[in-house]
Amino acid sequence: MSKLYTFLKYFFISFWTVFVVAPFLWAVSTSFKDFQSVNSKVTYIPWLDFEPTLEGWRVLIKSPAKGGVDIVEPYFNSIFVTCTASLISIVLGTLAAYALSRFTFKAGFVRNNDITFFFISQRIMPPIVLSIPFFIFLSTIGLLDSLLGLVVVYIVLLMPIAVWIMVDFFNRVPKELDETALIDGCNPYQAFYKVVLPNSIPGLIVAGMFCIIFGWIDFFFAFILTFTEVQLLPVKVVALNSSITPWWSLSASALVSVAPLIIVAFIVERYLSKGNLSGALK
Amino acid sequence: MEEQMAKIDLSNISHTYNPLDPKPTYALNPFSMTWENGKRYAILGPSGCGKTTMLNIVSGLVRPSKGEILFDETPVTDLKTEDRNIAQVFQFPVIYNTMTVYDNLAFPLRCREFTKEKIEERVKAVSDTLNLSSFLNSPARKLTADQKQLISLGRGLVREDVAAVLMDEPLTVIDPDLKFRLRRNLKEINEQYKTTLVYVTHDQNEAMTFAENIIVMDQGEIVQVGLPKDLFEKPKTTFVGYFIGSPAMNIFHSTVSSDHEVKINDTTIKTNSNLGNLKDKNVKLGIRSEFIELAEKEKSNTVKIKLTRVEDFGNFKLLTGKMGDLVIKSKVEREKPIPDGELNLYFPPEKCCVYSDEKLV
Repeated sequence: MSKLYTFLKYFFISFWTVFVVAPFLWAVSTSFKDFQSVNSKVTYIPWLDFEPTLEGWRVLIKSPAKGGVDIVEPYFNSIFVTCTASLISIVLGTLAAYALSRFTFKAGFVRNNDITFFFISQRIMPPIVLSIPFFIFLSTIGLLDSLLGLVVVYIVLLMPIAVWIMVDFFNRVPKELDETALIDGCNPYQAFYKVVLPNSIPGLIVAGMFCIIFGWIDFFFAFILTFTEVQLLPVKVVALNSSITPWWSLSASALVSVAPLIIVAFIVERYLSKGNLSGALK
Repeated sequence: MEEQMAKIDLSNISHTYNPLDPKPTYALNPFSMTWENGKRYAILGPSGCGKTTMLNIVSGLVRPSKGEILFDETPVTDLKTEDRNIAQVFQFPVIYNTMTVYDNLAFPLRCREFTKEKIEERVKAVSDTLNLSSFLNSPARKLTADQKQLISLGRGLVREDVAAVLMDEPLTVIDPDLKFRLRRNLKEINEQYKTTLVYVTHDQNEAMTFAENIIVMDQGEIVQVGLPKDLFEKPKTTFVGYFIGSPAMNIFHSTVSSDHEVKINDTTIKTNSNLGNLKDKNVKLGIRSEFIELAEKEKSNTVKIKLTRVEDFGNFKLLTGKMGDLVIKSKVEREKPIPDGELNLYFPPEKCCVYSDEKLV
C-alpha cells in the first residue's frame, strides 16, 4: 500500500514537473532554431536534430534600422515602471494598511472594512472600465505616452494588492506589540517602524512579490496608454509578431521576459523555505 | 539613580467603552484610590470585572471617560503612554521577534536614550534575576513561551525609575515551580528597589502571597481594599466572602432577633455586630469554614447538623453537613475524631459577620 502510494506520489510529481518545465525547454530549444528547423519537421536536440543559430536572440538587440526589434529599451522601461510603482505602492499601501488595522474610522456609514473593500474593488473592476478615464486623465495632465504616467497608473493598480495583503498581515500582529512599544517609550511612529515593521517583513515580501508580478505582466494599460515615445516589454513582445510568425525570436523574448519573475520567485522561495514566513508570529 | 517613582492617585475615575450610547455601560464605576510609592498591590477579581481596564488607564493605553490620574500630585491624564514612565506586562508574552534577548531587554532603555554602560549594567542585573543570562545573544523568537514571558517581565523591570510596574496576570503561562520563585523574586525586587508593583490576577493565592494590599473588584466596582487578613476575616461584602478563601465563606439567610443575635432556621446565633436598627430584618450571616469548631455537646452558639460528607485534604478535613436545607462546611484538624451522624458546630461570635443588602454591618 505504502509502496503504491510512494510510486503514485513520485509519478504525479514527475508528471507535473514535465508539464510545467516542458514548455520552457521547448521555448529554449525553439529560440535557437531558424525558419527551416521550425517549419520542416519536429526537432528537439540541437546539433543532432537541427543546427542551432543565435538569430532569434540577435533580433532582440538589433536596432529596427538593421531589421531588428530592440527590446532592450522596453525592457529597462518595464523594470523602471514596475519597480518604481511597486515600491511606492508598498510604502503607501503599508501605511494605509497599518492605519486601517489599528485605528477606527467612521465617516457616515463607512467603516474600516468598507475602506479596505474600496481598495480591493479597484481590482475587481474589469480593467476596460478604467481605460477611458485613465486615458482622459493622463492626457489632461500631459502624461500620456510617458513613463511617469504609467507609474501613476500602476500605483493605482498595485496599491490595492499591497493594502489587502498588509491589512490582513497587520491584523494578525497582536495589538499588544504596539502597546508594549509605547510603554517602552516609543512614540507611535517609532513603534511602527522599529517594532511592527520589522515583524512584518514576510508580509512585505509577499506583497512586494505580488506587486512586481502584476506590474510586470500588465499588457492592457501599457498598450492603451503608450504609443511611440515609450514602450513596455509586453507590448513590444506582441509587436514582434508579423505575417510570418518568428517563433525563434518570440521564444527568446518570452524567455527574457519571464527571467526576472523567475529570479523573484527564486529569492522569495528561499525566504519561504527558511521558515521565516510561518514562524513570524507567536 | 534618578528618583522618579511616584505616588499614584486615581481620582473619581470611571470608564465606559461606549460613551456615545445614551445609556452607556460602565466597565469601571467611579472610584478613587491611591497607590503609595514602593508598595505591592494585587487587583483581584473574576474575568471581565474591569481589572485590565484599570491598568490600561494608569498606563495611558485607555483614556478614562471621567476622572483624573495624578503621579505625585501632577496630572497625567492627558499624557501619552510613552511619556508616562510606566512599565506594563501583559498576560501573554509580547516580545520583539526580530531582536535578540539582549536587545529586547535593552529596548526600553534605548528608547529613553540611556548610556551604553548603564544599559549593559541594567540588562545584566535583570537577566541575572530572571535567569536569562545564558540566552542574551539568542534570537528572542527561539525561546519557549515561559522564557518569552520572562523577557516581557524583564523589559518591565529593566528601568529602575518607573512610576510603577503594572502586571496583567503575568505568570499565567509560566509553570508552577518557576511561578513560585518568580513571585518571590518580584517581592525581592520590590523590597530592594522600592518599585511600586501592581499585579492583576484572578487567583486569590497569588494575590495573597504577593501583595501587601489587595484590591478586590467585581463588575466594575471596587468592593474592598485591604490586607489579606482583613479580606479573609472581615469580607466587606458577601461577594468577597464567596470569592476569597477555599472553600467559600458559609453564608446563611437569617433574621435579626435582637441587638446582637440572628436566627438561622430556629437556632439563635450570637454575634459581635450591632444589629439594633435592623430588628426583624432579613440579613445574611457569614462565617469562614476555618472558624467553625467542633463542639462536644450542644451549648450556646452551636448548630446541630447532619454530616453528609467528610473529605480528607491531607492537612485538614473538610466536613459538609446539612441543617435543614442549609449546607454548612467546616475545616477541622485531621487528627480530630469525627463522630458519625449528627454533630454540633460552634460559631465563635467574634468570627460571625452579618450582611445586610450584601454589605457588612
